[in-house]
Amino acid sequence: MPREVDWTQPLSVEGASADPVVLRLERLSKRYSADRPALFEGIDLELRQGEYLAVMGESGVGKSTLLNLLAGLDQPDSGRVLLGGVDLSALDDDGVTLLRRRAVGFVFQAFHVLPYLSVEQNVALPLDLLGVREPERSRRTTEMLTAVGLAPLALRYARELSGGEVQRVAIARALVHRPRLLLADEPTGNLDARSAAQTLTLLREQVKANAGAGILITHSRTAAETADRILVLEAGGLRSLGPGR
Amino acid sequence: MNTPRDARGAFAIWRVLLLAQFRESPARLTVTVLAIALGVALGAAVYLVNGAALNEFGSATKRLVGEADVIVRGPREGFSERLFTQLAEDTTFGAASPVLELEVALPGQRDTLKVLGVDMFRAAALQPALVGEIGEGLYALFQPDSIYLSSSAARELKLRRGDTFAVIVGSTPKTLHVLGILSEGSYSQALGLMDIASAQWTFNQIGRLNRIDLRLQPGRDIDVARRDLQQRLPAGVLAVAPQVERDRAVSVTRAYRINLNMLALVALLAGAFLVFSTQSLAVLRRRRSLALLRALGVTRGQLQRALVGEGAVLGVLGSFLGVLLGLGFAVAVLQLLTGDLGNGQLRVVGASIRAAPLPLLAFFVMGTVAAGVGAWLPARAAARRPPARSLKGGDGDYTAVARYSASIGVALLGLGALLSQLPALRGLPVFGYAAIASLLFGAVLLVPTLTVKALSVAPRTRRIVLDTAVAQLRENVALSALSLASIIVSFSLMVAMAIMVYSFRVSFDQWLVKLLPADMQLREPLGNDTAYWSAADQSRLAAVKGISRIDFRRTRQLLLDPARAPVTLIARGATATQTANELPLIGAGTQLLPTNAEPVWISESLQDLYGYKLGDKIRLPLDGRLHTYTVAGMWRDYARTSGSLVMSRSAYRDATGDDSANEGSIWLNVGADAGVVEAAMRARFPRGDSIEILTSTALRDRSLRIFDHAFAITYALEAIAVIIGLMGVSFAASSTALARRAEFGMLRHIGMLRRQIIEMLAGEGIITSAFGVAYGLILGTALSLVLVYVVNRQSFNWSIDLAVPAWQLMVLSVTLIVAAAVTAIWSGRAAMSQDAVRAVREDC
Amino acid sequence: MRSLRTTWTAWVFLAMANVATGRPLVFPADYGSHPEFRTEWWYVTGWLTTDSGAPLGFQITFFRSKPDIDASNPSAFTPRQLVIAHCAISDPKRGRLWQDQRIRRAGLGLADAASGDTDVWLDHWSLKRHDGVYTAKIAAEDFSFDLTLSESQSVLLNGDAGVSRKGPDKESTSYYYSLPHLHVSGEITRQGSADRVTGEAWFDHEWSSQYLDAEAAGWDWIGINLDDGSALMAFRIRGVQGEQRWSGGSLRDAAGNLQILQPSQVEFRAGRRWVSPRTGIRYPVQWSVRAGARQIDLLPLIDDQENDTRLSTGAIYWEGAVRAYEQEHLVGRGYLELTGYGERLRIR
Repeated sequence: MPREVDWTQPLSVEGASADPVVLRLERLSKRYSADRPALFEGIDLELRQGEYLAVMGESGVGKSTLLNLLAGLDQPDSGRVLLGGVDLSALDDDGVTLLRRRAVGFVFQAFHVLPYLSVEQNVALPLDLLGVREPERSRRTTEMLTAVGLAPLALRYARELSGGEVQRVAIARALVHRPRLLLADEPTGNLDARSAAQTLTLLREQVKANAGAGILITHSRTAAETADRILVLEAGGLRSLGPGR
Repeated sequence: MNTPRDARGAFAIWRVLLLAQFRESPARLTVTVLAIALGVALGAAVYLVNGAALNEFGSATKRLVGEADVIVRGPREGFSERLFTQLAEDTTFGAASPVLELEVALPGQRDTLKVLGVDMFRAAALQPALVGEIGEGLYALFQPDSIYLSSSAARELKLRRGDTFAVIVGSTPKTLHVLGILSEGSYSQALGLMDIASAQWTFNQIGRLNRIDLRLQPGRDIDVARRDLQQRLPAGVLAVAPQVERDRAVSVTRAYRINLNMLALVALLAGAFLVFSTQSLAVLRRRRSLALLRALGVTRGQLQRALVGEGAVLGVLGSFLGVLLGLGFAVAVLQLLTGDLGNGQLRVVGASIRAAPLPLLAFFVMGTVAAGVGAWLPARAAARRPPARSLKGGDGDYTAVARYSASIGVALLGLGALLSQLPALRGLPVFGYAAIASLLFGAVLLVPTLTVKALSVAPRTRRIVLDTAVAQLRENVALSALSLASIIVSFSLMVAMAIMVYSFRVSFDQWLVKLLPADMQLREPLGNDTAYWSAADQSRLAAVKGISRIDFRRTRQLLLDPARAPVTLIARGATATQTANELPLIGAGTQLLPTNAEPVWISESLQDLYGYKLGDKIRLPLDGRLHTYTVAGMWRDYARTSGSLVMSRSAYRDATGDDSANEGSIWLNVGADAGVVEAAMRARFPRGDSIEILTSTALRDRSLRIFDHAFAITYALEAIAVIIGLMGVSFAASSTALARRAEFGMLRHIGMLRRQIIEMLAGEGIITSAFGVAYGLILGTALSLVLVYVVNRQSFNWSIDLAVPAWQLMVLSVTLIVAAAVTAIWSGRAAMSQDAVRAVREDC
Repeated sequence: MRSLRTTWTAWVFLAMANVATGRPLVFPADYGSHPEFRTEWWYVTGWLTTDSGAPLGFQITFFRSKPDIDASNPSAFTPRQLVIAHCAISDPKRGRLWQDQRIRRAGLGLADAASGDTDVWLDHWSLKRHDGVYTAKIAAEDFSFDLTLSESQSVLLNGDAGVSRKGPDKESTSYYYSLPHLHVSGEITRQGSADRVTGEAWFDHEWSSQYLDAEAAGWDWIGINLDDGSALMAFRIRGVQGEQRWSGGSLRDAAGNLQILQPSQVEFRAGRRWVSPRTGIRYPVQWSVRAGARQIDLLPLIDDQENDTRLSTGAIYWEGAVRAYEQEHLVGRGYLELTGYGERLRIR
C-alpha cells in the first residue's frame, strides 16, 4: 500500500541510491514469438538524470514494446532493465507496480483520462495512489495544473475539454508526483498540428522541471526534434541520430 | 415507409448485430432467454393447472347438479320431506328430485365422504346419465346398507365392489356394503350414492331432506319461478339457480387463483425487465459501434428495427421454451399435487391438462411482446441518439432523462397511494394490485434521479479506491440506475412478500394460541354432518379420569346467501360472557354484551361480505325459523374464509333444542398423561378412533405446517424473483467491467494494484447493491402495507397484523449485497484477464 | 334396462302370494290393487277416431311391482311398491309411436295403486274407475290423454274363472280379467294441439307372483273387439327356441257366451316381418291366428309400433293397433303384443 512520501526528497526511489543514472538497459532482447524474428536484440542504453530522449521508428518496429519493458509492464526475453538502480526482473508484479507508481509517469496517445473525474481529480490520481495527504495533495496538484495552464479548469470534467487540453491533463497527471522517469507514447498522435506543437513544448518543459528524465516515443521527426537526443529503433537495435534541439 | 430494400438492410444489420452479440456473450443471451422462459412457464403452468382443476371442478359440480333449473337447498340438517311432496305435486314443476346430501364421518379418517341419497327414478329426469351409470344396481341399491362409490372414492378408501366399510352416525359406527364402483367418467370427486330411503334410515334423517332439484314445465320463466318459490320456502331454505351453485364452488378459490396469476405475471414482468436491462446494456456497450453504423448510413429506423428484432428473437425463443416448460410444470403439478396449488380447496382427482392452443399462444405472445417492449425502449433511445455524441461517449444528457422519469415516477407513486384506498372490485383486490404495480414502477422511475442525488451527496473519503468507484457510478448513472432497478424490483417484491407472509404467520400463530388455550382438542372429522356427541356422550367423555375441565362446541353450516359458500355457525361457551372471553376479538376492549337480544360474534368476512356491523340485529334461520341476534363483536377467523358466527351454547340450544357437540377442548389435571386420557376417551365409543384427539401443541404445529405448505409456492416465486434480480446486477456489472477495460489498463499503468482495482469494483458493487437494498427495503415495506391491508383483506376478508421479519430481511440484504460485490469482482477479474498493455492501446 | 331385467328375474322365483291356490274373483275389490302379489297391471288398448276421421291407436298401462326389500325401513321413501306407467299413441301420420314412461316408488301420496277399486296414479298420470266409468289422465312429455272409458259389456273372466294358466308348469298362472268394447271419448293432445276423439278400447287387469316359467322367452297376445260385438283374446308363450310352450284364449260373442280356448285351439302363424331401424329387431307384424273356429288375419295400423320402455319396465317390444280380417273382410280392431323378440323377456 502507498506509504508516506518524503517530499523533501521527491525524486528518491525506495531501495535505489541517488544514482545519476535513471534508467539502464543491459543486453535487452525481445521477440513476439519463437517463429518470428526478434524485435530487438542486445540493446544497451543509459539515461541520466535530466536527460530527455526521443525514440523514433516505423510502425511495428517495437517502440511501444520497448516502452512497456521500461515500465515493467512486459518482461524481456533476456537482459535487464534497471530503474533507478533497481532490477525490475527481481521484483514481482506488486513490486513493479509500486515502483512504477512512485517512479514512472505515463502519457498515452489515447490520453486515458477518466471522463467521470474532474480535471483536478484526474491529476491527483497518482498522489492519491501514493497516499499523499492534504494540504500537500492540493498544493502539488494546483502547482501542476498551473504549470500546464489548466488551473481555471480544475473542476471541469475531462469530457468537457478539447483534445489538447485533455493531453495537458494527462501530462500533469504523469508528472504530479515528480517521477524519476516520464514515458510518453505518441502523445501527439491524436492531436492537430497546433495543439501538438504546444503539447510537445509543454512536455519538454515539464519533464525538465518535474521529472528525473524522460523518453518520448514518436514516429514524427518534428516531435523528436524537441528532445535532447534522438535514437532510432530499427530492426535489431537502437541507432543514434544525434542530438535533438 | 418500408421499402423492401430498407427491410433487407435492417435484416442484414440485425443479423450482424445479433451474431456479434451471440459470439460475444452467449451466456448472457442464454440467461435472458431462460428468464423469459421462466416467466412464461410460470404463468402458463399456473393458468393450465388452475384451468384444468377448475374445469374438472366445474364439470364435477355440473354433474352433481344435473339439468335442474332450480335447486332448493336447506341447511345440512335439512327440512321436512313434506316440502318435497308439495313441490312434486305442484304443476309448475316438470320434475322434482329429492336429495339428502351429507358429509359422512368415517372412523379413523380426517376426510369425510360425501354421500348423496337420491331417488333414482326421479333423479333420472334430471340426470339420465346417472341411472345409466348405476344400471344393474338400481334395484339392489334398495337394500338399506348398499352404496355405490365413485371410482375416486373407492381409490381413496381402498375399497372394491363387495367390500364393506364403516361410517359414524352420532357416536355409533354403521356398516355399508359397496354394491359397485361407478366408472371413472361419471363423478370425478369422491362420493357415494345411496337410495334416499336407505340414506334417511342409515343417517338418522328419517323425514328429512336437504336438497330438491327441480325442473320447470317448459315455457316457465326460471327466475320468476325461483323467486315465487323462495317466498314459499321455510327460513334457511333457499331456491338457488344451478349456475350460482356451480359458481360458488369456483368462487371460493377465486381470490387465491387470482393471487397466483398475479405472481406469475410478476415473474413475467421480471423477465421483461431483464430483457430491458440486457438490451439496454447491450446498446450502451455498443454505443460506439452503433453510432458507427449510423455514420456509415444505416437509417434510424433500420437500426431501431434491428435492435428490437434482437429482443424479439430472445422473446420468441424464451416464450417457446416457456410454453413447453409450463406444460411440463403443469403436468407434473397435476400428477404430484392433484391439481392443488397449495390452499387445499381445489383438490381434484383426474383433472387433465387440456393444452388449449389459444391460451398457450396468448402466453407465447405475452412473452414475446414483453421482450419486444423491453428491447424497444433502449432501441429507440439508441436510434435517436445523435451519432456524434455517441462516438464521443459519456452519459451527459442523462440527468434530463432522469428528471423527466422522476416526475412520472412521483405521479405514479401518487396514483398508487390513491389506488390503494379503493375497495375491492367484484370481490377481487384489483385496485390493490394496480396500486402495487403503480408504486413499483413509480419507485423505479425515481431511481435515476435518486441515484444522481445520492451519488452527488456521497462524501469524498480520500480513499482513492472508493472515490473512484463513486465517481465511476456517478458518471455511468444510466448503467448504475439499471443495475439498481434490477435489484430494487426483485428485492422490494421479495421484501413485500416476506413481510406479508411473515405477518400472516405471526397473526395466525397468535390466533391459534388464543383459540387453543386448553391442553387438548378433540373433534369429529371436520365438516362432517353425521358424527356428533349426544349429551350422554358428552357426560361420558367428561367423566374420563385426568380431565379437569372439558368444554364442548357445536359447529354447523348455515347458508345465508345462495351465491356464497355456507357460513359456519359455532356454538361455544356456556354463557355469552364466557364466549366473549374465549374469542380473539378485534378492537379487543371490553364490549358490553347487549341485553335486548342474544349476542353473536361475527368473523371479519361476515362484515366484509354481508355488511354486518357491530350492534346490528341479524336474523338467522335455525331449525326452520328465524331468530334475532345482536352482533356483539367481531373476531378473527383464519380457518373459514367464507365466514363464521359464534354464539353461546345456551343461545344455540334455545334456538334449536340441539345440545349435541362435535368439538371440544380439554384441560388436564396436573400430572395427567395426555396419551392415557386420549386412550380413555377413545375407549368410551365403539369406534373411538374416529374422533380426532390432539394436544393443542400438536394441533398448532400441524396448522403451521399446513400454512407453510400453502405458502411454499410463494417462496419459490420469491426465490426466482431474487435470482432474476441478481442476474440483472451481474449483467450490468460484467458489461460495465468490459467497457472499462482501457480504464483498468491505464490505472494499472499509473501504479494501481490489481487488488485495488478489484477493491474498487467490489466497492462499486457494494455501494450499488446497498443503495438498492435500502431502497428495496423501504419500497418493499410500502408494498407490504398494500399487500397486508388491501390485497389480503380484500382477497380473504380477514385482517392480519403487520410484523416485520427483521432477521430474515437482514440476512437477505447482506446476502444480496455480498452477491452483488462478488459478481462485480468476478466480472472485473474477467475483464482484467486481458493484459493492461493491450487494454490501453485499444481505442475505446 | 338390462339391469332391471336381471333383478326382476330374481324376484320371479321368490315366494309370494301365489295364484295357483286360486280363488273366485270378487268385484269391485278385485278391480283394485293386490299389493301382496309381485306384479300387477292395468292395461288399456284401443282404437280412436279424431273429429277429422283419422284413426289412432292408443295404449295406457299401469304396472305395480313389489320389490324384495327390507320393509322395516321407516322412511317414507322406502320402495315397498313401485308404480310404472307407459303410454303410447299409434299415429299413422307420424309413422311411429308417441310414447312416454315413468317409474316411481309408491308413497308420499305421489304414486300408488289403491285397493278396493281401480285407482292407480303416479305424478299427474292416473287411471281410476268410478261407477263403471274409467278416467285416464296422462300428461306425457309431448302428448296427453284425457279419456273417459265406459263399460258396455260385463267382465270377461279369462282362463278358469279368472285364473289364467301361462305355461306347462302349474305354478305359472295369473289372475286375469278383461273388459272388451269399452266406449271411449275424450281429448288427445299431441304437441300442444288437441283433438276430440271417440273409439273403442280393451281393458285388461292381471296380477301374479309367478307369471312366466324359467324357459319362457316371450309371448304373443291379441285383444280384438270384433265388429259383431264379440271379443277375442288369445296368447301364446314362446320358449327360448321360438317354440310354442303354451297358449290360450277367450272368445265371447255378443250374447255373452264365453268359450275358453285350450292350447290346442289356439295357433299363431307369423307372416310379414318388419325390422326396427332403431334396435335391429325383426318383428312379425302380420299374423294369422286360429282361435277356436275362427281364423283371423291381422294387419298393423303402421309397421313401426315398437315400444321402448327400457327406462321403466325394461323391455323393448312391439305392441300396436291391428285390423282384424276374416276372409279378407274387415271384422274388427284390436291390439297385438309381441314380446321377447329382441332378448328374452323378463317381467318385473
